[in-house]
Amino acid sequence: MTQFKDLDPVLHSQLRLAVMSLLMGVEEAEFSWLREQTNSTAGNLSIQISKLKDAGYIDVEKKFRNNYPLTSCKITDNGRKNFIDYVSALKDYLNPEKQ
Amino acid sequence: MENEEKVMTGEESLKIITDMINRTKINIGQGSFHLIFWGWLVLFCSLAQILISKFTSYHAPWNVWILTIPGVFVSLIYGFTHGRKEEFHTYSERVFMMTWIGFVIVTFMLALFLHKNGELMAQFILLAAGFPTFVSGFILKFRPLVWGGIAFWVLSLAAYLAGPETGQFAVPLGMLLGYLVPGYMLRSRGSYDTI
Repeated sequence: MTQFKDLDPVLHSQLRLAVMSLLMGVEEAEFSWLREQTNSTAGNLSIQISKLKDAGYIDVEKKFRNNYPLTSCKITDNGRKNFIDYVSALKDYLNPEKQ
Repeated sequence: MENEEKVMTGEESLKIITDMINRTKINIGQGSFHLIFWGWLVLFCSLAQILISKFTSYHAPWNVWILTIPGVFVSLIYGFTHGRKEEFHTYSERVFMMTWIGFVIVTFMLALFLHKNGELMAQFILLAAGFPTFVSGFILKFRPLVWGGIAFWVLSLAAYLAGPETGQFAVPLGMLLGYLVPGYMLRSRGSYDTI
């Protein structure tokens, strides 16, 4: 019987997965850019970013630019490793015969 | 993307990953500014040096290259102010930036080592200029820049073989082929592109 690896519940959510996919391709990204790319509300994105931060998948830095608060996010090594594992598990789901 | 509790299928997950990764783009607008700015500045300096040495009795025509020092500051200020406005930074942009900073250091060192041996300057500067141009072409996946880098190396060899009198024309020609033509082509491609 084919054994599937469990999909990481932190990543197996639309918005969190989208944020992580974006952060995989960049060095760092601002909150406003993530919101624009994911077409999400500020409140929802903020909650999901907190969950990713609490899981240790991303680092969140709050700074100021021209007196305006600025939040920037960066993927951690742990987040990168878990994203790669998630993609690998996903491949197993999509191509079970190759297992 | 609101309902985060909705159970996703494998295909949906894969689609999100693909869509989002395709949105990661590199800012090529800055790249074209520096290519065009330096293309014109070096073209001007090299032609001015040729004309001054040919038609005047001024003993130090290479002094025209001092203009490149404020040029470095213009590039740094432009890069810094535009970089700060960017909402995201890719790894490729960092490699791109470091490659060009390395080139600026190499060029100034070469100028320092070779300023008393002006006839060697053209071929060495062209040799150095080819490297970041060639690498940037690959980072941006922009073939005219790759060819621009190769053009610098070919012109460097041509300058070496032709000797200093004819070889000095290799620098303005190199700026035209290596920086200005790819720079304007890059600018016409738009501000951002997928890497």
